[in-house]
Amino acid sequence: MSVSPLLKIENLKTYFYSKGRQAFIRSVDGVSFEIRRGETLGVVGESGSGKSVMALSVMGLVGAAPGVIAGRIGLKTDGVQKNLLQDLDDYVERVEADDRVVEVRKDVVGWQKNVERLMAMVRGKTVAMIFQNPKSSLNPFLSVGRQITEAIRLHTPCKGKAESRERSLYWLERVRMDSPRLRYDNYPRALSGGMCQRAMVAMALSCEPSFLIADEPTTGLDATIQSRIADLLAELKADLGVTTMLISHDIGIIRRLSDSVAVMYGGMVVEYGPAGKVMAAGPESGHPYTAALLASVPDERNIRGKEPLQAIPGDVPDTIHVPDGCRFFGRCVRVTAAVEKECAGRLPPLSEITPGHAVRCWLYGES
Amino acid sequence: MRKRYVEAPGRTDEASGLRFFRKSEAVDLFFVGYGLLIVVLVAVSYAAGVFRLLPHDPEAVNLDLMLAPPGTAGHLLGTDFMGRDLLARLILGIQAYFLPGLLAIAVATVPGLALGVLAGYGAGRADRVITWFSNLVDSFPRLVLILLVIAAFKPDIYFIMVVVGLTNVPATVSLVKVKIRFLREKNFIEAAEGLGLPRRTIVLKHILWHHCRASLIIRATLGMGEAILMETSLSYLGFGVQEPTPSWGNMVQSGANYFLQGNFWPSTVPALAILLAILGFHLLGDGLNNLLERKAVY
Amino acid sequence: MSLKGVKPVARVLAREVAVTALLLLGVSVVVFCILYLAPGDPFSLLLEGQMSAGAPGQDVREAMGAPNAWHARYLSWLAGMLRGNFGASIRTGLPVLEEISRVGLNTLLLTLGSMAVTLLVAVPIALYAAVRGVNRVSFPLTMAAYVVSSLPVFWFGYVVIYLFLHTFGLFPLAFGGSQGTNRLYLLLPIVVLGLGNGTLSEVIRHLREEMGRVLSEDYVRTARAKGASVWKHAFKEGFLIPVTEIVASKIPFILGGAVIVEQVFNWPGMGRMAWQAAQDRDFPVIMGIAVLAAVFVRAGNLLQRFVYIAVNPGASRETIGRRVA
Repeated sequence: MSVSPLLKIENLKTYFYSKGRQAFIRSVDGVSFEIRRGETLGVVGESGSGKSVMALSVMGLVGAAPGVIAGRIGLKTDGVQKNLLQDLDDYVERVEADDRVVEVRKDVVGWQKNVERLMAMVRGKTVAMIFQNPKSSLNPFLSVGRQITEAIRLHTPCKGKAESRERSLYWLERVRMDSPRLRYDNYPRALSGGMCQRAMVAMALSCEPSFLIADEPTTGLDATIQSRIADLLAELKADLGVTTMLISHDIGIIRRLSDSVAVMYGGMVVEYGPAGKVMAAGPESGHPYTAALLASVPDERNIRGKEPLQAIPGDVPDTIHVPDGCRFFGRCVRVTAAVEKECAGRLPPLSEITPGHAVRCWLYGES
Repeated sequence: MRKRYVEAPGRTDEASGLRFFRKSEAVDLFFVGYGLLIVVLVAVSYAAGVFRLLPHDPEAVNLDLMLAPPGTAGHLLGTDFMGRDLLARLILGIQAYFLPGLLAIAVATVPGLALGVLAGYGAGRADRVITWFSNLVDSFPRLVLILLVIAAFKPDIYFIMVVVGLTNVPATVSLVKVKIRFLREKNFIEAAEGLGLPRRTIVLKHILWHHCRASLIIRATLGMGEAILMETSLSYLGFGVQEPTPSWGNMVQSGANYFLQGNFWPSTVPALAILLAILGFHLLGDGLNNLLERKAVY
Repeated sequence: MSLKGVKPVARVLAREVAVTALLLLGVSVVVFCILYLAPGDPFSLLLEGQMSAGAPGQDVREAMGAPNAWHARYLSWLAGMLRGNFGASIRTGLPVLEEISRVGLNTLLLTLGSMAVTLLVAVPIALYAAVRGVNRVSFPLTMAAYVVSSLPVFWFGYVVIYLFLHTFGLFPLAFGGSQGTNRLYLLLPIVVLGLGNGTLSEVIRHLREEMGRVLSEDYVRTARAKGASVWKHAFKEGFLIPVTEIVASKIPFILGGAVIVEQVFNWPGMGRMAWQAAQDRDFPVIMGIAVLAAVFVRAGNLLQRFVYIAVNPGASRETIGRRVA
């Protein structure tokens, strides 16, 4: 049974422009991956790796200019494949030199209108998104319940006041909100971060979308609440099986909830594959960055033994002055003399080392 | 319409030493220059009497040449309904508002700073009381209050400007208070106190000089703009400078009757002068602010 | 809206009303001080005027023991005012409040109308600039508004009259005319004051800044992500509150402008009456107008506070007075 993926992103590029420096900030610089129905893809990376921008690009929420400049985002809606970046090339012209984009001409206003048109059918109904900072992501002037009801009335056949209210309450219970009837009328300021996040999850799932994007859902919450929300997401995943893109820099939650994992670094995917394989990266396997990332999270043994923390040497990658070669070169501890020249000079492609598991590294790929 | 984004490699990003002149800086310098031009004209105005710089005696009546349009021989900006040269009257008219305006700014700034610091730095009670006073002062339309003062005291322009200045105190107070609140939130004040700096230094040097001065400069230029508008409005209404001494306001008023007959210049020339002067001061403030703020770190 | 919110909200509303009352008391003190300290003892004239204009009964008592100490005089004057007795005009001898009410409506019409005009012009420009940013359309418009705001309104009025005269052949004659063309003329001072009151550029700037800020808030992004109407969500914080804030804070300026505009157009309103009173040193009238103007300003402010409280769910806490510079 060949099932086309629910979401397929091909070579997505989202750039921003700094007027002061007259240079592009290459936030998402050629990202490709796919997610199958029912699967949870965990996207891992440090701050600045482009994961949030990538999620916003999928939703058409990138505000700054020039924004999305290339790529194809295929979403399966109602069994039909749809490109969320349809007609992008009508609005954008790219000028490249040495495989790098050096000039962009984009009709920003026109493209925004086009995106709104394309996304209007999809937002909230087929794709839902929950954000970091749940407290500021809810409208402080409306009660929490009304915001959920609004989503329900917009995207489900349930239009009546009483009906939709009941449905909101149902979902508030489903996300294990305490005293749902009371919380329904509360304003976001009266709720804690964790409760607000539950409400956001309720709001997102109440329209039964095919696809959920969760952008750092536990970051910014208290440590104990983080695990509770993770519990909730695991439970909902088991119950509903919603296809999810989970973005986080918290390895723990990625490990817990993901079926597949994509590791992002410097605006690109550097490793992609089943969670078991990717999360097993070590000193000899996987992408050097993934291995270093996993090693940097101390486990019980490290803590008990009071071993020093394994930081990754070097600085966060510069997304403006992008190097010619591998972006992790310079911080990579597994560089060998054999590949050094390649690593410094050419960007390695994402190549499969086993079926379904790809790594962007000269240590594996053909030079 | 496509916007163009070009990468220009080789440009240094950080400001260090000599910075290449950016377009927006040129604009700001232009604004500052424009404003300074006004100031130069002010100086000319005051020096005119002493050094006989004016083209004509502003009070010399010339019944042969009434209501001449600009460009008439010998009268660059034309003459008014009594044949008096408009340019000379215009220049002299600056004196009607400039020094009084400075007085208004001074009266607005000094108590404003003091009260603002008190309100921002002191206890909550001081803040509430000062806020109440600010709201009280703001409850009066400035012109109506001035009319009341005029009815009561029949004052001169300096007295009026003191009142104008007082009505502007709440704006200064608010400015300083907001800045202090901002600094408090950023813990600058706490840090300075922790370092053992005496309160006076913190207030005078750090808060007022470094953080408030840009906003205060803008406030001062706005204040001058308001003073110009107030003085000219009052002279227009007949309460300011009296004939034959020129004020831009009474020049507009005396030209008004002739405006509707088609002689717009006697009214329009001073009105445009008012516009350009107010704009000049506003732009001066904006330009200075932008130039000064560039040095700011955050 | 849940019923549970009523009690604390009522408390906050009551507090706002109390503060307003206290401020109006302050206003009366300020006016009193000005008149009391004025040379020539206008205050006695004022008090006498109050007595002659007041009801005969109680004033006999007062006439017998005319208060001399400043606080007693203040209280007596205040008491008279609260009863609606503002004294009598020195020029006409008629009760001040009556005089003012005769013309007050005209000024009210002028003021409210010009506020509407200002908003009609400012709102579209501000919203466009908030959404599209600085571009070839918004920049010139904003600059034009800046220039218009610096125009002296007393000249601008003549320009408009002149244009109107020559395009329509209308003469600024007596009011109350029921002809269609005269009705049109009524719009002129409203338009002139609406454009020329000097607040246009600030209204645009404030609204554009606030709406721009709100449009980039997280919760608006969430609304977009869920396919909801962005304007509905941004409305309260980005439009309603900034507009009421800026309008309430600019009422004093509009009233001041009304004095001038009424002069230019010979509009029979409080402004022109104030001018006349200042000329004649007719204290009771100018005092009455000053007090009423302050009342109007505070009423506007109070209304704005009510809107803010109604919209804000956090309003049952202490709300610090927000000031629009």
